[in-house]
Amino acid sequence: MSEIKLKSIIKNFGGNSIAVDNLSETFPAGEFVCLLGPSGCGKTTTLRMIAGLETPDSGEIFYGDKTFFSSKTGELIKTENRNLGLMFQSYALWPHMTVYKNIIFGLEMQKKSLEEKEKRYLELEKLFHLENFRDRYPSELSGGQQQRVALARMLAIKPSLLLLDEPLSNLDSNLRLEMRSELKRLHHNLGCTIIFVTHDQMEAMTLATSIAVMNDGKIEQIDKPMEIYNNPKSLFVAKFVGSPQMNIVNSKKDEKLATCLSKKINIEKEKVKNFGIRPETMKMVKQDDGDINGTIETIQPTGADWIVGVNVYGKSLFLISSDPPIGKENDTVGIFFKPEDCHSFDNNDLRIIKN
Amino acid sequence: MFSSNSTSQNTLIVSLKIKLSKLLLQPTFLIGIVLVIILSYLVIAPIVSIFSNSVSLTMMDAMLSGGKDGEFTYKYIDRVFTSSISEKIFWIPLKNSITVSFFATLIALTLGLILASLVTSTNILGRKYLGFLLIIPYMLPSQAMATAWLTMFKNRKISGPQGMLESFGITPPDWLAYGPLPISICMALSYFPFAFLLFSSALSKIDIQLEEVASTFGAKTKAIWSKIILPLLIPTTMSVLLLTVARTLGTFATPYILGTPAKYTLLSTSLYSSVRSNDSGVVAVIAIVLSLIGLMLLLVDIWVVRKWQRFVTVGGKGIKRQPSKLGVFRMPTTIFAWIIFLIAALGPFIVLALSTLMREPGNFAFSNFGLAYWTGVNVPGMDQPGIFTSPEVITALKNSFLIAGSAALICGILGLLIGYAVVRLPGTLISGFLRQISFLPYLMPGLAFAAAYLSLFAVSRGPIPALYGSMSLLILVMVVTYLPYASRSGISAMMQVGPEPEEAGMVLGAGFWRRITTILAPLQKSALIIAIILPFITGMKELSLVVMLVTPGTELLTTQSIRFLDFGYTQLANATILIIGVVVMISVLILNRVTKTNLASGLGG
Ligand SMILES: Nc1ncnc2c1ncn2[C@@H]1O[C@H](COP(=O)(O)OP(=O)(O)OP(=O)(O)O)[C@@H](O)[C@H]1O
Ligand SMILES: [Mg+2]
Repeated sequence: MSEIKLKSIIKNFGGNSIAVDNLSETFPAGEFVCLLGPSGCGKTTTLRMIAGLETPDSGEIFYGDKTFFSSKTGELIKTENRNLGLMFQSYALWPHMTVYKNIIFGLEMQKKSLEEKEKRYLELEKLFHLENFRDRYPSELSGGQQQRVALARMLAIKPSLLLLDEPLSNLDSNLRLEMRSELKRLHHNLGCTIIFVTHDQMEAMTLATSIAVMNDGKIEQIDKPMEIYNNPKSLFVAKFVGSPQMNIVNSKKDEKLATCLSKKINIEKEKVKNFGIRPETMKMVKQDDGDINGTIETIQPTGADWIVGVNVYGKSLFLISSDPPIGKENDTVGIFFKPEDCHSFDNNDLRIIKN
Repeated sequence: MFSSNSTSQNTLIVSLKIKLSKLLLQPTFLIGIVLVIILSYLVIAPIVSIFSNSVSLTMMDAMLSGGKDGEFTYKYIDRVFTSSISEKIFWIPLKNSITVSFFATLIALTLGLILASLVTSTNILGRKYLGFLLIIPYMLPSQAMATAWLTMFKNRKISGPQGMLESFGITPPDWLAYGPLPISICMALSYFPFAFLLFSSALSKIDIQLEEVASTFGAKTKAIWSKIILPLLIPTTMSVLLLTVARTLGTFATPYILGTPAKYTLLSTSLYSSVRSNDSGVVAVIAIVLSLIGLMLLLVDIWVVRKWQRFVTVGGKGIKRQPSKLGVFRMPTTIFAWIIFLIAALGPFIVLALSTLMREPGNFAFSNFGLAYWTGVNVPGMDQPGIFTSPEVITALKNSFLIAGSAALICGILGLLIGYAVVRLPGTLISGFLRQISFLPYLMPGLAFAAAYLSLFAVSRGPIPALYGSMSLLILVMVVTYLPYASRSGISAMMQVGPEPEEAGMVLGAGFWRRITTILAPLQKSALIIAIILPFITGMKELSLVVMLVTPGTELLTTQSIRFLDFGYTQLANATILIIGVVVMISVLILNRVTKTNLASGLGG
């Protein structure tokens, strides 16, 4: 088990947009890293470059002491010899091979004996509850079963690095939940390094030991999930993680509200371009009891809690609370926030760290 | 960050090193490059040679009229367009070609449209069977219809056994026996199955909801057809039209068999006689004209398709149109459809078969029937052995299988290889070039292509020996001519599979050849079988492409039947054609069994 290290990776597909833009990052050994980002930000491309299915235009990729690729020295290890596991979004099971054949393919490539193959197959069959499917073809399996076969096929060769490209996106929500815990358990038992691509932040938060948020071919922040959530390094990360989205208050457009916030957290308003407050950190109190007053615009019960839209100086703030709101639409209420839960971002959309 | 103290020479070496190792990683590149080289030679060289032939003096003319061999000259262009014989070798054949193409296309189009509408959308009797039976004429070689016609309507103008009508005491007039009328009808009957298939598939693709919407407005069946369905068929109609015109222009057998006795020449037969008289400059000029017409038709087709693109109805939930009730018209239309089947498919078969079983045409006495033409050692009145004992036929049969078989095999594999290279190297020059160049032969009519190959490979050039008179020349020319179809289906087959199955193998440690043999090949098995059987069928029926390239040792069944006709051995010719028909039909049955697709998807040559 080793860490994976990317250095100044650039990949351009020939258009004017860059798929991966000067990416440098280290993914520590044994971590479960989630690559999280909007569609088209270069997640798949990054994964494919690590797997060797795509060659970077320039940069270096190291895995432990092995150099997968280096445009400095011209070294290049081909996919076949990188010895890693990659799972495709579409599973890419071979339709002309049975479940058994699919799963032992990697072992066959390693010229393992029949007993070894059989032994490993039985282990995997048990691990992924694939009993009775041995001689079926992929088209005769349900989506979830196919996925388990794809996982088993990848794991058969015991790779120490697993790359998973949105492996759960094709599943219904129940199966998804089940597979999530399966993956988590797997990571725990195998102790391998996993890089997992998703654009579902919920998935990232629940699975990852660290999350890398990508935007426009760059990694904006890589940190522990709660750290990403509580201390987003940039406006993009702040907005991308969390649902409902963090409330963003622009100091030009929503000047009155911004002035109030800057006073509360004791920062010069001129330095800040945007303030951010997570919906669940605000509290609704009686009129004039809070830091500021506002009018309730909307109330949306979600079952577990309530999402309340409150208009403050013309700006809609969303609050989320597990208690029923204390007023109804058009009532005036007070809002209370803690200074440590207010984020501020400078003109470059970077987090301002207070001392 | 990069420390940039390395010299620029060093970076160059490093980048070359990466390029090289990528190249070795991806044999696709090598395959692509090899394909580019092979195809450039096989496709571009003949085209270049034909252009140069059209303007350079032949050795013979150089000796006859002075000047140097290979010298630049307008002589052949003059000869074709302005000289005293230009009427005979070009202008009249051109006029005849246009006339015949016009009528043949008109008839084929009308028949195809009417029959497709009847079979797909009405309760005509036997519609289930007609769908298959009506494409049988496609499976017969194009000379089948012509020889059947001749067997039926021949009069005493030409030698050989009597025509069937004549033997009943009716002498068919010349205009019915030979010339434009029978040529147009025979071509129409050979080619209407295309129109039928294309219209049928277009009709089944039209979204039935469009019609349902109209009927909610109270439109009657008649109004739905004239206001909705027929206008939606306009793009298909245009494509069918151009395709049929192109095909009729390139057909050789029909005008050769039915036109020659009346001295009625088309461009294809005129080209053939120029080849026979070794007039390579004139051959080149006429071939260029034919190619230009082909190119023009293709451009018009592209233009029409583009113009009508917004017209194409996407969707169609695959719901079958409810067959509309024909009422009193049910019987007449049923009879009409079955009569067409009788005339175009069953009729020729019966006529050909009967003629080979009757010693004397028209005599239906039981004692007159026999297998002499098939199994006889010496056929009475011809001094020829029967089909099964004739060394010529046996050689031709072997050659046909060998040549069409090898060409089909090479074509199938080459098509998939091209597909692989094109799909796996997207956006590269190689990919674009392969796509374009493998399509080029489509523009050239078979006759023109054959003429080009004839001039190119008559002598040895560079490392390639003179191939004239060898089987490899015939195989080569077939491969190149069928390449557009093969590469197109190869590309679409590869597109369907996508890169992922192979990449999954790569990740699990399978090298290139392993991936090809254990993943790609099994996945493409049925595509490969189709890619081989379709050119095989076309190759078995091929005449125009090979007729000027065969030599006594390399006769094919199709050319052998023409030889028999030339000598007046009509029955032997008919028997040979029947053999071709049977082989082709067996192949089609195999094809249907292997794949569930119908012929429409692969109708190429
Ligand atoms: N083979 C390719 N050719 C050209 N452009 C490509 C190719 N693959 C990816 N791109 C482009 O590179 C960018 C990054 O693509 P990538 O597939 O890595 O996005 P992603 O983050 O995986 O998105 P998604 O969440 O939608 O899967 C996109 O703008 C995409 O259009
Ligand atoms: Mg992706």
